Amino acid sequence: MGSEPRTRTDWTLAYVLAAAVGAVALLALATAPVAALLGDSSYAIPSSLHGVAAIVYVIVGTVTAYLAWHLYRGTLEAYRDLRILGLLGAFFSLVTVLFGNWIYIYYRATGGPRSYFLEANAPIHEIFFEFKEFIALFTLPVSVASAYILWHEGDALRDRPHLRQAVAVALILAWAYLMLAFGLGAAITKLRSV
Amino acid sequence: MVPAPRPSGASVAALLAAAIGLLVLALVQVATELNASFKDSVFAVGKAWIPGAAGIGPYSGKETFMLVAWLGSWAVLHGVLRRKEVDVRTWGGVAFVALALATLLMWPPVWHVLKGG
Repeated sequence: MGSEPRTRTDWTLAYVLAAAVGAVALLALATAPVAALLGDSSYAIPSSLHGVAAIVYVIVGTVTAYLAWHLYRGTLEAYRDLRILGLLGAFFSLVTVLFGNWIYIYYRATGGPRSYFLEANAPIHEIFFEFKEFIALFTLPVSVASAYILWHEGDALRDRPHLRQAVAVALILAWAYLMLAFGLGAAITKLRSV
Repeated sequence: MVPAPRPSGASVAALLAAAIGLLVLALVQVATELNASFKDSVFAVGKAWIPGAAGIGPYSGKETFMLVAWLGSWAVLHGVLRRKEVDVRTWGGVAFVALALATLLMWPPVWHVLKGG
């Protein structure tokens, strides 16, 4: 069976777009009081980094979950893309958890959101935040294990249906844990931010 | 050309270790809710090495137990299983059941019931 020769990807348009987006971002950073968006809390920077890392992780995790569904069904072609996304997911899980730990100090501090919730609306802390803080941790071992399996097995995963399905389920599970933590985090932050 | 598959043991070890780490986290969490002195001990473990642990509280110790159980069991299982072909359906199933149990135990109303209120 004959096949078309592969042609090299022309990245010119991508470079032009990246440069345009970068230029607009630089212009915005240089002309707008961006720091005002962070708020005046002493934990403004780590909490912003926690939020940004979580948002990037949601994007990476969602694309990963989509590819994982194809992996489960045996219809995935982009194994290399999934390996890279798996690694990025594990990385952003770690970064989000580390910054989450940092701002948790303020959450628990006297006068912080925890004491506010316990006084004003205890179930927000006792059920939703307690669950969020632990379920966020679940993403780390599951995403690291998934990334390890994807890289360890490589393209040979195509011929191992049970292992392929197991890692696909693990990737989708990591995404589900992420979305639970992200949704609860966003809702709680709306009620009382760090 | 697709390369020949390696023994499945190393991959299964990674999955099982993740489940063990999270099940330990869930069990430690439930135990700290049921026993105040154990909670103090868990907090002391976290304070021993995590920067800012005094502000994080017992959560720091729970993270420590999870990390030790996860990475420790991974090292052991990897050493034992890496050259072996293991039944992925059975041991993958065990890992997912453990993850489901850990997730259930992490739901706060479950601790509240176990505490008797």
